[in-house]
Amino acid sequence: MSEVRRARVAPIVVLVVAALMGGMLWVLASGDGGDDAEAGIIDSHLLDRAAPEVRSSLLDGGSFELSRRKGSWVVLNFFNSTCVPCRAEHPELVKFVEQQASLGPLGAEFYTVVQIGDDLDEVRRFFDERGGDWPVLTDENGEVFVDFGVAQVPETFIIDPNGVVRVRWAGVIDAVTLAQLVQQLRNATGL
Amino acid sequence: MQGLKRWPSWVVLVLAVAGLLAYGSTKDAGARTPEERVEEISKRLACPICDGESVYESQNPSSAAIRAAIRTYVAEGEASDDQIVASVVEAFGAETQLVPKATGFEALVWALPAAALVCASVGLFVAFRRWKAAADTIPDDDDRALVDAALAGDVLAGDEDPSK
Repeated sequence: MSEVRRARVAPIVVLVVAALMGGMLWVLASGDGGDDAEAGIIDSHLLDRAAPEVRSSLLDGGSFELSRRKGSWVVLNFFNSTCVPCRAEHPELVKFVEQQASLGPLGAEFYTVVQIGDDLDEVRRFFDERGGDWPVLTDENGEVFVDFGVAQVPETFIIDPNGVVRVRWAGVIDAVTLAQLVQQLRNATGL
Repeated sequence: MQGLKRWPSWVVLVLAVAGLLAYGSTKDAGARTPEERVEEISKRLACPICDGESVYESQNPSSAAIRAAIRTYVAEGEASDDQIVASVVEAFGAETQLVPKATGFEALVWALPAAALVCASVGLFVAFRRWKAAADTIPDDDDRALVDAALAGDVLAGDEDPSK
């Protein structure tokens, strides 16, 4: 290769290498750290889609089928009794359930789904000590958590009376926010 | 055997590698137990909330849930390994896929190393040819004169024996 030709090609090679390195840096810099601890509404593969089929056992006996809850607004709260944010959130959930109960048949139904590996006796003790008399679902085969894509607790899903997932909330939620979300969805959907 | 010795060693090496790859990629792994399927599938998935661990290795509850769910899906016998992996990846996000797909943007992960290998091979080939050409110098008149003189005995006869 002549010197002249080499002098022409070298800057192009440098530019290509620099562009590749810049691209890699951009991908690294714009990547999601995956450690967003802030609470709020997040995306879900289930949003505006039919909720997965949930068949589960209740902590105090009996069975649960989500599809049989159609006709009511349903709130699913994913929980672990050893999780500190879950403990902090619990009094707010008690308030929310009481507030919804005051609405009569229009009130949303509330269910807790217990994460696999949690000690069910501890869960019973938790509810005995801190209140909350709503149904508690076990997830011994992990399907409910996996179908909803829940990796960290607490998380809360709101499902409309047609069985469509409307909101996914990651992290701690308070009673007022949850009640407002349900009401906004009621108004928006007319359901 | 004599013929084989004449072959360049790299041709033999390439043939051997190609043959072994062909054998390895088409070899039937045989029937697998449900537990083996669970193990293989969970090794293809990354723990959704811990860095650098597969679902198979992780002791996190979310990984435990995924393992348990995989076990259930396998026991139901309706979904293939790929379908199970796809459903978990859909639920938890693309980050949970340890082995990148061979389509779309992720295919670059497979294509770029292969492209780099091809480019490097071509570059080496060109460089070797150039070096070889540079080494093969054409004799000029001075060289020829030197050789002629050597053949005539002028140079060799004039050299002293260094051992003396």
